[in-house]
Amino acid sequence: MGKADKIIGLIMLIFSGLVIEESLRMPQEGGNFEPGIRFLPFWLGVLLAILSALLMVSGWRKSAEGAARRMLPSRQAVIAIVLLVAGLAAYIAVLETLGFLIATLLFNAFLMAVVMRAPRNMTLAVAVGASLAIYVIFRILLEVPLPKNMFGF
Amino acid sequence: MDILQDLLLGFQVALSLKNLAFCFIGVLIGTLLGVLPGIGPITGVAVLVPITFGMNATTAIITMAGVYYGAMYGGSTTSILINVPGESSSVVTTLDGYQMARKGRAGPALGMAALSSFIAGTFSVVLLTVVAPPLVKFALAFGPPEYFALTFMGLTLVTSLSGDSMIKCVMSGVLGLLLACVGIDAVTGTARFTYGEIYLLDGFGFISVAVGLFAVAEVLINLEQPAQEVYTRTKLSIRTLFPNLQDWKDSFWPIWRGSVIGFFIGVLPGGGATIASFISYAVEKRMSKHPEKFGTGIIEGVAAPEGSTNAAAIGHFVTLLALGIPGTATMAIMMGVFLIHGLRPGPLLFESNPEFVWGLIASMYIGNVMLIILNMPLIGIWVSMLRVPYKILMPLIVTISSVGIYATENNTFDMWVMLAFGILGYFMRKFDFPAAPVVLALVLGPMVEKSLRQSLSIAHGSVAIFFNRPISAVLLAVSFISLCIPLVRAARQEFAKKRPGDGKQAP
Repeated sequence: MGKADKIIGLIMLIFSGLVIEESLRMPQEGGNFEPGIRFLPFWLGVLLAILSALLMVSGWRKSAEGAARRMLPSRQAVIAIVLLVAGLAAYIAVLETLGFLIATLLFNAFLMAVVMRAPRNMTLAVAVGASLAIYVIFRILLEVPLPKNMFGF
Repeated sequence: MDILQDLLLGFQVALSLKNLAFCFIGVLIGTLLGVLPGIGPITGVAVLVPITFGMNATTAIITMAGVYYGAMYGGSTTSILINVPGESSSVVTTLDGYQMARKGRAGPALGMAALSSFIAGTFSVVLLTVVAPPLVKFALAFGPPEYFALTFMGLTLVTSLSGDSMIKCVMSGVLGLLLACVGIDAVTGTARFTYGEIYLLDGFGFISVAVGLFAVAEVLINLEQPAQEVYTRTKLSIRTLFPNLQDWKDSFWPIWRGSVIGFFIGVLPGGGATIASFISYAVEKRMSKHPEKFGTGIIEGVAAPEGSTNAAAIGHFVTLLALGIPGTATMAIMMGVFLIHGLRPGPLLFESNPEFVWGLIASMYIGNVMLIILNMPLIGIWVSMLRVPYKILMPLIVTISSVGIYATENNTFDMWVMLAFGILGYFMRKFDFPAAPVVLALVLGPMVEKSLRQSLSIAHGSVAIFFNRPISAVLLAVSFISLCIPLVRAARQEFAKKRPGDGKQAP
């Protein structure tokens, strides 16, 4: 955990530097005695830099004291996580092209069959049932506009 | 005596068959809407405004009020069962409510959420009835320095949301404040950190960030344990569904404190239920003899924020009815309903349409009773959701969350935000960075900055304005103390680690 804290501290230190730099590029307005738009982001960047340095110090101390190492997820779990993230990204990307019904059906089928490795019958039932149920709730009952494809559904 | 007579008139109006029926419909629909992530009270009220067109004014407002506090309660159901906050004020309930569900105590958590909401809501309606006029005078005394002090105090309470590391907790809070800086600056109209992206002009949507950090991150974390059950299987007998005597003993004072905190914060314009729930949680943690148990699944962690949320919902009506000022976005929509029906909220309404005002207040008593009657039997149904195999539940959680997010703005940008924060939330969980401070700071950040800049503008740059005014001075003193206590505690623990065991003091 000490090593992780040192790495995260370094990343956040770099990030805080970027925040400070970006805030210094903002116009220094602040008329009528008010501090202007760069005031808060600048000082937050400074505070974040200080905290990042403290985190790195804390991480170094934990390493020196021999703190317990964090267990990493299994290879299977990492694959499942990557698949879910990729699947969700693909769902968002195609939602407005394929339309809600088809996109949601395919997404649910992917999650069930590929990520959760559910049996075929369960996959089909959940994919179809969930897509229709969500459509009825949001589109018909609540009249929330949902994306349609070029065929109108 | 006048108040009692007016209230009796109100009950006469509210207890008509038509108003009772529509109050029930409002509470039912509100609860169902509150359960859906992304569809919170504001969306629920806004979506249902058109159905009130054919009703008379009293019935319309009674229905909308039912939707509002029904949605406040509904948001806690998914917070407890699947760690998906239905709306922003339910985020705090996830901290202990979800952990209770994982321990097989979903029923008592849901039950206490309902009962706490009922007690706090009823208590707040009594307060609304009796103390509205002097309270409004107090609320009018709040200027920008007081708002800065109040919201700054809210931010310092973030330290009470820390787990093992204060540094990581404050870093999460700072990240939330930076996220709040994205978008058009409210004072000057200049865009910050938008990089030309049109969708960022409004900043990051709170609900997209919250659903990502809590719901999506939770799903990703749970994928690490595919063979294990996420929830402890528990027998769903009647006895296990409801809070036991110990739960009531532990929750008694948190409920009352939450009610008072929630109501007074709800009275303040801009004092939303979200702030009330965070402050209430933090206060309970500070006052507890076992603060380390907060976040592990204790009943007080559900009772206090749920009570304060419902109390704040009632408190919001004080400024709307008594002053004609909508204190929150949802109250603004309510005000629209008033205007559609030819009524202007404010002190004159009490004189010109007393049956309307007192009918509404009386309906809140009735609505709270309906909420408890409706939701207590439903607890068994909600808890039985946990019997559904996780491989079916997970796709439903992800899909409903995604569609709910899409429904807020009708564009996929917010869904990308949800996904990005889901990934961030996963890594935050892995490396022990708490997510709650991010969402607290995201909500409070704009108010803190706006009130700070307004105050300094009024005072010509002098910070003495915060200390010259008694209310803001007291609030800042409380903030300072709440910042120092965890630091002193951490320093003492550190010192005790370096000098183990013999209890002797240093020379």
